[in-house]
Amino acid sequence: MTDLIKEQKLLENVTNPFKIKGRVIRNRRVEVFCDKETVSSVLLYAKTQLGYIHLAHMTCIDWIDENKFELIYTIWSPVEKVHLFVKTKIDRENPVMENIDKIWDQANTYEREMREMFGIEFPGLIGEHDFALEDWDEMPPMRKDFDTHQYAEQTYYNRPGREDAKDVRETLVERSGTEVPDFAKKYSRER
Amino acid sequence: MIREKETTLYLGPQHPGITGNMMIKLKVQGDTVVSATTHVGYLHRAFEKLIERRNWLNAFTLLCRFCVPEPDPMELTYARAVEELDNREVPERAKYIRVIVMELARLQSFLLWYAGQAGSGGLYTMGQWSVGDRNYVLDLFEDLTGGRIYHMYIWPGGVRRDLPDGWTDKVLKTMDYLENRQKDYNQLMFDNTVFQKRAKGVGIIPKDKAVEWGVVGPPLRGTGIKSDVRIDEPYEIYDKLDFVVPTFEGGDIWARAMVRQEEFRQSISIIRQAIEKMPKGEYYNKVPNPMKWIVPEGQAWAKTESVRGEIGFYVASNGTNKPYRVHAKGAAYTHGVTVLEKVLPGQNIADVSFIMNSLGVCPPEIER
Amino acid sequence: MSFIDLKGLLQPLGALKQIGKKPHTIRFPYEKKDASDNYRGLHYNEINDCIGCGNCSTICPNAAIDMIDLLEVEGNAGDSGLRPRIDNGRCCWCALCVDVCPTGSLNLTKDYIYVTDDPNSFLWMPGVDNKEEGKDLISYTSDTTTSLSMYDRVPMRELEGKERVKSFAEVVLGYTEDEARAEAERCISCGLCTEACPEHMHIPEYINAIARGEDEDAVKIIYDNNPLPEMCGKVCTRRCEDVCALQVRGDAVAIRWLKRYATETAPTVEAIKEVVNPVIEEPNGLTVGIIGAGPAGLTAGYYLALKGYDVTIYEAQAHAGGMVMYGIPKYRFPLDSIDKQIEYMESIGVKINYNTRVGKDISFDDIYKNFDAVFIGIGLQKPWNIGIKNEDVPGVIPAIEYLKIINSGGSYDVGKKVAVIGGGNVAIDGARVSARFGAEVTILYRRRVKDMPADWEEIEGAEDEGVHIIPQAIPTRIIKNEKGRVKGIEYVMAKMLTQEGGGRPRPVAIEGSETIYECDTVIGAIGQQADFTWLPEKYKESVLIERGKIQVNNDRQTGDPKIFAGGDAVKFGNADAISAIADGFSAMKGIDKLLLKKK
Repeated sequence: MTDLIKEQKLLENVTNPFKIKGRVIRNRRVEVFCDKETVSSVLLYAKTQLGYIHLAHMTCIDWIDENKFELIYTIWSPVEKVHLFVKTKIDRENPVMENIDKIWDQANTYEREMREMFGIEFPGLIGEHDFALEDWDEMPPMRKDFDTHQYAEQTYYNRPGREDAKDVRETLVERSGTEVPDFAKKYSRER
Repeated sequence: MIREKETTLYLGPQHPGITGNMMIKLKVQGDTVVSATTHVGYLHRAFEKLIERRNWLNAFTLLCRFCVPEPDPMELTYARAVEELDNREVPERAKYIRVIVMELARLQSFLLWYAGQAGSGGLYTMGQWSVGDRNYVLDLFEDLTGGRIYHMYIWPGGVRRDLPDGWTDKVLKTMDYLENRQKDYNQLMFDNTVFQKRAKGVGIIPKDKAVEWGVVGPPLRGTGIKSDVRIDEPYEIYDKLDFVVPTFEGGDIWARAMVRQEEFRQSISIIRQAIEKMPKGEYYNKVPNPMKWIVPEGQAWAKTESVRGEIGFYVASNGTNKPYRVHAKGAAYTHGVTVLEKVLPGQNIADVSFIMNSLGVCPPEIER
Repeated sequence: MSFIDLKGLLQPLGALKQIGKKPHTIRFPYEKKDASDNYRGLHYNEINDCIGCGNCSTICPNAAIDMIDLLEVEGNAGDSGLRPRIDNGRCCWCALCVDVCPTGSLNLTKDYIYVTDDPNSFLWMPGVDNKEEGKDLISYTSDTTTSLSMYDRVPMRELEGKERVKSFAEVVLGYTEDEARAEAERCISCGLCTEACPEHMHIPEYINAIARGEDEDAVKIIYDNNPLPEMCGKVCTRRCEDVCALQVRGDAVAIRWLKRYATETAPTVEAIKEVVNPVIEEPNGLTVGIIGAGPAGLTAGYYLALKGYDVTIYEAQAHAGGMVMYGIPKYRFPLDSIDKQIEYMESIGVKINYNTRVGKDISFDDIYKNFDAVFIGIGLQKPWNIGIKNEDVPGVIPAIEYLKIINSGGSYDVGKKVAVIGGGNVAIDGARVSARFGAEVTILYRRRVKDMPADWEEIEGAEDEGVHIIPQAIPTRIIKNEKGRVKGIEYVMAKMLTQEGGGRPRPVAIEGSETIYECDTVIGAIGQQADFTWLPEKYKESVLIERGKIQVNNDRQTGDPKIFAGGDAVKFGNADAISAIADGFSAMKGIDKLLLKKK
């Protein structure tokens, strides 16, 4: 576990040409952080020069508190057997990201899904707008501010017969004639 | 030569072969596919979003339903990602149990694949046999976990229950039975000229493009490339076991079938080895009260070799009692969309679902 | 390969050999498939073992479990009276509900066939609707090892028994931050404890705040209805822990120690003030007089002061705190802890007049006239007699008097050997204090050790310190020496007689078992009573006193609308501090209601 030579080498090979930051997470895991303009160059460089030919995964995380989307490209070298995570953060308002399906065709699927689920635009992306959803005109649903519960309540109806359900804590509070102050309620048991 | 008129054919969404509901828009000339566009969206259940509303353990009930034939690899991959975030050690015995479960899951999934592959080629008897035999594996799961298809058995820190008394003997007996049945399967399927004729030279993935296209698992090994998460990035105790990762040249359906045929034998061997070497001891490093279990902030990526190829989970935590983001990528995510679209042109319409089965297309996993 | 591969074509015909073989399938319903021994089928709940904590309902990922008020089960402390009902249309049989059930009452069965054409009939209560057939089919269960509930308490660090008898240093060392978080994580937040707590503190909320690392919020929640948490965190009788959902199969959550931990995060008066940030309303010009600065009086005074009342407390002793100050040894509740709490109260605006005994230094009439409302929280100050011969000789002392002398900084020579009579916390206190003066101590108790009303931790602590307990020993007389001092105590052994009608077993003396225990001091700890001699006769018509206790309504109001009372001396009193706090809190509400019109 202490021997992370090839990981260190990879880190240097990626960070030096592009002047970007990164770190070795553990064995077989290296991550680099770059701005969104650099992503495609890093990926192309890693694919063509370093042998990271397999795009294992692409994902997006909505950091709503930071008002950013984090895009993560996971690539893998069958020779080195190391994962390289290329991470970037883009603005949550009008998010636009470079389309990389010229580098890997299958990125097209990921990007179509991100476009639908997070509302990220990828200029030049081919493929129908509907991926998994159909006639969806609400907020992109994987965004953190989309409330699934509220949507379900509004869209579907509950089967009748369960209205007599009681909350244990409320029942006890009622029975003992007390009150839980408002500032404490966020610590009560979730329902 | 008269150019035949190009028509559009909608294949699916009602189960094009035993894969799950998806639709492929085929442009065909006569019997030949000119181009294919895939459409998923018939099985979207918003699992990833729902997981964000549940606590870390609750995710299991959804995870195992990502893809029906492969509930266990999903559980294991998620568990390993969470363990990495939480720095949670897994007891040695649990690792062995996990491997046994994984290989049993591989067997039951292969048996289902036999049914799908043979069935979409017209060999229906095969399906009746293999699905019948699959029930013997499911019986083992029932004894172990209390459930037949969805086990919810592997979770962070180990496994849920220790092995029941006499279970390993029952497993070994079932292994002997399945090993003997290989002869029958060969007779019916692999040595069968009809199957060979339909499989050879069909649905070819070029070797030089395979990795770049995102091909993983048996289809990749079917192009002659030796790649398997179990040896590339050994997890649990795979590095302590003796097994072969079979490869087969050709890149066609036949090559993929041959890889799977050999892997079936390897799985049986792995199970026997794991049972023999399994130590006694703890099976579970208990997590705290699941309602209050806080996983430290961080991000983790874990991948596992499932029957159809690598399955990866990207899990992010913001230091609360719920996952912040869980993203699953299964083999079908590439196989079922871009690879399929590349492989289908030039093929016969009748081979479309045959190819889908050989690639391990699983629509519920694509859209989750 | 030729175009026709004959062998390959004939191969599949091998399948024909299967003809005539016994099929693999089971011919349902002629043959039955028995599910495995831990099959996850339909639920079964043992209704009588279930305590209605609702943990199953909380974990259910599909929101399939509702908690329903089941008429045949009556709710009481330790049982919400609710029982789970499953929507089998939503259930996915993951059995997480079984694995988190703290009592183990909820199980899954081998029964997996449920056919109906009425979609509404998927809702049913396990254990009620499948009462007969479910029980025998139980398959998937949880025990204390497989359960996800955490049954083992984080142990509390204490001074070694040998070390602690050397001084009055605090025995319990308190949780560290990590220990507190780990202990708080065990709590399942059901809230059953709140009903057992006389003051109904917001226990799940503050424990959850500790679990999440928000200690300041925890302190704030605690102060919402308890102004003496440091005291409760150290010496509370914690009825809450008796009904904890986890104590059914394991250790209760250490609620008291967690409260103690929370208060330790605000170590000074300034820190408490900053964290609690109390809102003090504008003075409303109304006055309340309080007799006795014990937990009841202080609680009433604190919350009344917050509401803008002008509060004056009259305390006969030199220190506030009442029984907590004078009755509880300092190794359990150090002096600076009390001082800090009193200082905090005074900083809010509560005025305390020390060394002012009502009936001597000030008359009750004056108080009655000068204040808009009066609260009586005098506690039980007069010890009961042991009721045996020679009880009045020198060397015999009631425990509370003994403790009062020591706690006020005085001294009392107990000699080399001490006998303590009684089995409550006061008896143990008397014994452990004597042990700290180097005496050899023996406790005589009428019943068995398990019948002792004292805290088990106190009993264990005493034994660690070398205190000897003789159970089932009934004292009969005290033996004098030639100087007229105590020389020993005679007792008889008792056997436990089971009572008809299920009462607790009664000790009956065994004839001829008289034994003499030689000792220098006998400490009696068999209870106390209230002293009402200070109350002028004319008030006793309206302020009704029955069986030594003041009669009050739910607002802690006596027959005289202006006079309220609480604490050990009223009928609600369970004779512990938390009940006194509850009385003070209720009286505060009652007084506020009474005086609302005048505002």
